[in-house]
Amino acid sequence: MENTKINDLLKKVSEGRNEIAFSEIFDFIAPKINAYYIQNNLSIEQAEELTQEVMSTIWLKAELFDPEKSKFITWSFTIARNKKIDFYRKNQKNVANEEDIRDFLYTDNKSDDYEIESTIKEITKDLDENQKKLIKMSFFEQKSHKNIARELEIPLGTVKSRIRASLNKMQKHIQ
Amino acid sequence: MNTTAQKNELIFGYSSGNLGEAKSLFTSMYLYLNSFAAKKASVFDNMLAQNFNDLEGVGLKKLKYTDCIKNNTSKKQNSNLPNNPLSRIIGDFNHIDWKTIYKGFKEFKIPVNDNDSVKLIKMDPGTSVPLHSHNGKEYILVIDGSFCDEYGEYNKGDMQINDQQIKHNPTACNTSGCVCLSITENDVIFFGKFGSALNLFTFIKSFFK
Repeated sequence: MENTKINDLLKKVSEGRNEIAFSEIFDFIAPKINAYYIQNNLSIEQAEELTQEVMSTIWLKAELFDPEKSKFITWSFTIARNKKIDFYRKNQKNVANEEDIRDFLYTDNKSDDYEIESTIKEITKDLDENQKKLIKMSFFEQKSHKNIARELEIPLGTVKSRIRASLNKMQKHIQ
Repeated sequence: MNTTAQKNELIFGYSSGNLGEAKSLFTSMYLYLNSFAAKKASVFDNMLAQNFNDLEGVGLKKLKYTDCIKNNTSKKQNSNLPNNPLSRIIGDFNHIDWKTIYKGFKEFKIPVNDNDSVKLIKMDPGTSVPLHSHNGKEYILVIDGSFCDEYGEYNKGDMQINDQQIKHNPTACNTSGCVCLSITENDVIFFGKFGSALNLFTFIKSFFK
């Protein structure tokens, strides 16, 4: 979906609590959020539960989204990621009743998504398909280096060195 | 000392959400103080979000959009929190209950639910830490003032990562002193004249952790 279209829909949600607009946003993003959680090894039930939490946050906090500096896809990704962090914490032993300080640390995004667009294009051009795949598996799907090595049938050392090389390559573009 | 790759790993770990509480707090403070690091995190957030955009959706079995429409009854209102991530956790910096370790050197352990320990360190102007190394990694972020060691001068927003290879003797700047946020993965090993006494102190202290 185009940025302008999604920004329009979000405006309708934040200003007019427009449920039809929200249903369009839901149809676009909710299946992606669901897929993200399934890729991160959550069960179908857990994935739907967390997707519901993310979508409720989008409904409740639509007015916090700033279309001038943020992209909806990045904003919704960060909400989904934060819900996942919270989910894993709640499922750890002995911490169920304690507050996770990370809840307080992942709320602000001071940066401008549009200002760095060209940098991201350069990085995407510079990384080859294997490097993109490794970055995705390691940081997006949260697979361990060991599991990546097993899945791609390459030595563990190679996984580590390729990831590090990809990060260094990215670094060169961020000046 | 090339720690760029290690700094990147910390930032990217933060973006992907796989750091523990101590490193999450440390990194969010780093991004708050260092605009270059914040830009890196933002680039990475956007790149990960691009994967998100390219994902082929998986249809929802039960969930409908009407299930997500709720009234705002959230107990947590994060919008009133201070911008400084550390203040969000420990409150006003002026009311920190510092513990004096030795003359001119104070620390405050931040309560986190993590294997890594994170603390604030305050050094009066000119105060030094005896030459030492680390069993695990040590991450130091300058929150205020500056310090110098064998590897250079570190100012507000600068980060240093040390490991077993690094022996250093940090000294707080003569004018303003220094406040740092520090994560130690394992205990410090001291060298020199008072090294054995300090190592014994560290050993005994470990029983009271």
